[in-house]
Amino acid sequence: MIRFENLTKIYRGIRAVDGLNLEIPQGTIFGFIGPNGAGKTTTIKMMAGVLRPTRGRIYINGLDIAKEPSKAKRIIGFIPDQPFLYEKLSGIEFLRFKAGLYGMKGNRLGEKILDLLNLFELSDWADELIESYSHGMKQRLIIASAMIHEPRVIIVDEPMVGLDPKGAKLVKEIFKEWAKEGATVFMSTHTLALAQEVCQQIAIVDQGRIVASGTSEELEKQAGIEGDLERIFLKITGGVARK
Amino acid sequence: MRIFKLLISPKFVGFRNGLKKSRRNIKIKILTLTGTGILFWLTLFFLFYRMLIYFSSQEIIGDILARHLLAMVLLIFFSLLIFSHIITALSNLYLSQDLELCHSSPASLIEIFLSRSFYTVIDSSWMLGVFGLPVMMAYGFVYHAGLSYYLSLVYVSFPLVIIAASLGIMVIMVLVRFFPAQRARDIIMFLCLILVVILYLLFRFLRPERLVNPDAFMSVAQYLGALKAPDSPYLPSHWATDLLWARLARYPTAQILNHLLLWSTAFAVAVIDIWIAGLIYFKGFSKAQEAKRRSHIGRRILEKMVSVITRPLGPDITSVIAKDVRTFFRDNSQWSQLLLLGALVVVYLYNFSVLPLERSPIKSIYLQNALSFLNIGLAGFVISAVSVRFIFPAVSSEGQAFWIILSSPLSPRRFLWSKYFAYLLPMLILAEMLIIYTNYLLKVTAFMMALSAVTIFFLVFGIVALGVGLGAVYPNFRHENIAQVATGFGGLIYMIISSVFIALVIMLEAGPVYAILSAHFKEEAITRLEWIWIVGSFILVIFLNIFAVQRPMAAGLKAINGYEG
Repeated sequence: MIRFENLTKIYRGIRAVDGLNLEIPQGTIFGFIGPNGAGKTTTIKMMAGVLRPTRGRIYINGLDIAKEPSKAKRIIGFIPDQPFLYEKLSGIEFLRFKAGLYGMKGNRLGEKILDLLNLFELSDWADELIESYSHGMKQRLIIASAMIHEPRVIIVDEPMVGLDPKGAKLVKEIFKEWAKEGATVFMSTHTLALAQEVCQQIAIVDQGRIVASGTSEELEKQAGIEGDLERIFLKITGGVARK
Repeated sequence: MRIFKLLISPKFVGFRNGLKKSRRNIKIKILTLTGTGILFWLTLFFLFYRMLIYFSSQEIIGDILARHLLAMVLLIFFSLLIFSHIITALSNLYLSQDLELCHSSPASLIEIFLSRSFYTVIDSSWMLGVFGLPVMMAYGFVYHAGLSYYLSLVYVSFPLVIIAASLGIMVIMVLVRFFPAQRARDIIMFLCLILVVILYLLFRFLRPERLVNPDAFMSVAQYLGALKAPDSPYLPSHWATDLLWARLARYPTAQILNHLLLWSTAFAVAVIDIWIAGLIYFKGFSKAQEAKRRSHIGRRILEKMVSVITRPLGPDITSVIAKDVRTFFRDNSQWSQLLLLGALVVVYLYNFSVLPLERSPIKSIYLQNALSFLNIGLAGFVISAVSVRFIFPAVSSEGQAFWIILSSPLSPRRFLWSKYFAYLLPMLILAEMLIIYTNYLLKVTAFMMALSAVTIFFLVFGIVALGVGLGAVYPNFRHENIAQVATGFGGLIYMIISSVFIALVIMLEAGPVYAILSAHFKEEAITRLEWIWIVGSFILVIFLNIFAVQRPMAAGLKAINGYEG
């Protein structure tokens, strides 16, 4: 479960995130959508413990990320939008490194790493340095590394960036599988079709505030129009559909 | 011309915006950098001024020495300019991220090439002003040069820079035509480093201090032979030397040939450069975009080393240290600096081995112990110099992948201390080796040997903490090359604070050590008051060391906790 209480982030006088209040039940795939500069990535970075909120609280499965950061991070899997990695490590070394950060060791770890490399079709590249990977391969490696400690909450920023159709399909299936097993997926995306397809709940954020939230049907009601998420999104955020 | 202006504008606009953005800290930065710069300029100026005054007092050979020195200085500048242009041209012409944008624009290849060459000249030749001006000013002052000399400096520097830039860019274009840009960078970095190390070692082993002591030579011929600078009439630096010397010594002869040689060469190499660019620049750029090589170098040795180093630690800290060790040995820009470290240590030890202790008018045993004491400070300074290269960039070395650490359960405190412990042991070993071996060469007393070993042992704890802590306070996660981190503002602050810390420890120990040694040599007892003074000083040293560990690490932790991406 994820809960925000008056979550606020102010950068040099600008409110990037402005008093967000939200509760996402366990086992939900939650879509966080909004125009550029709406505060999506800032919110996600605060959830992952990469940024500190100016005000407010974030609870991950009941753990306050500000008060118990290590405990909270142990159950989070974070997938950022830009695949910045340690270029001089090989894929397999990176997964071992990531597992080490979560205190994992032992014989079973080796098997798990190989399974993940197989799942994301990186086995042939396991011993190559990450600097020789393509953008999509780096993105797949990051997703694999986020799964290594079996997180209960997945926080993902633009999951499909750089992925080919096969990779994108795989990721969608994995998210659905995780949610079925009780994990919560918090996903920020510009791909509205993806949000409509996989998310059980969606929040539309604009200028740091949630301007609409609920299921697709509830959003239709709030916007007063029927149809796909794109039209609803444009109407709520002041795009073409409003005209 | 309009497109050329447009292509070079981002650098200037970016610089202006950078100044605006960092307005809050800019005053402190400008003050520190200006202060250090002025201090450096004045030191260099007075060093050369004193040397030239001394030369001018020597009849017959004075002017020969000064002219040879000028030739050597200009030759060194010219060589450094070429190397500097080679390194910066590779980034500016082949590796910069905005090159894709430039090449996909309607700008012509020559316009792109010229704009990038312009960047290269700006990035590479500022050092001529920083290092060269005080030297040339010293010449002007000593030889009472007129305005024409100072105007000649500008007039001579311009073609010299153009020649060096064209040659440097030419070398890189040819190299990238045959090797991928990443490999070319590795080769160049390695060759440059080897060259610097060889020059450094050669210069030291030639013992230039003997030149001001002609008595050390068997004959006049031998002395004049030693004076002979590596000069050649075919080198542009030689033509520049002749032109400047004519102004300094007020030669009545015209220098038409040197004028013509300097300017026509500059023009010719620039034209050849543009011609070569038309032929091979784009082919090289295209090749540079290809996938980087794969690497398997030294994996097995590395794996063993990592497992031995990290075995006793927890899995999270082990992971960080193992990652750092792997990255260090796989990143050529990092491990290759070990060569510089090696040269620094060799010269340091060599200096002690050639000390003429037996010829000193001071009683040898006093001198040995005094030198041993000063040696603590010198060794501390060597450790600081090594730390600024390797430890100060430790936090920055995470680069843009720092999000992985921040989003992991590893606390910032454990992360920072993992960096600290990873570097502490190697630095302790290096420091103790330096101090014990040099003390052995000096044949010091057991007391001084023990004191030096213990003092340097504790100094290293503070020096490493200062490196890790200040490295976290002044991080640079967006560097293109990790070696850049040490040369920034934070590196300068680290060197200043580290030197002050070492000086304070030495000052606190100096008095009590003198009292103990005096009492020992005079066979007198140490008074009660002296004991209080000695104990008090050493307690202060202990507190200072604790402070030097605790404060920078706390400041570093605060900086990481407040990191805003």
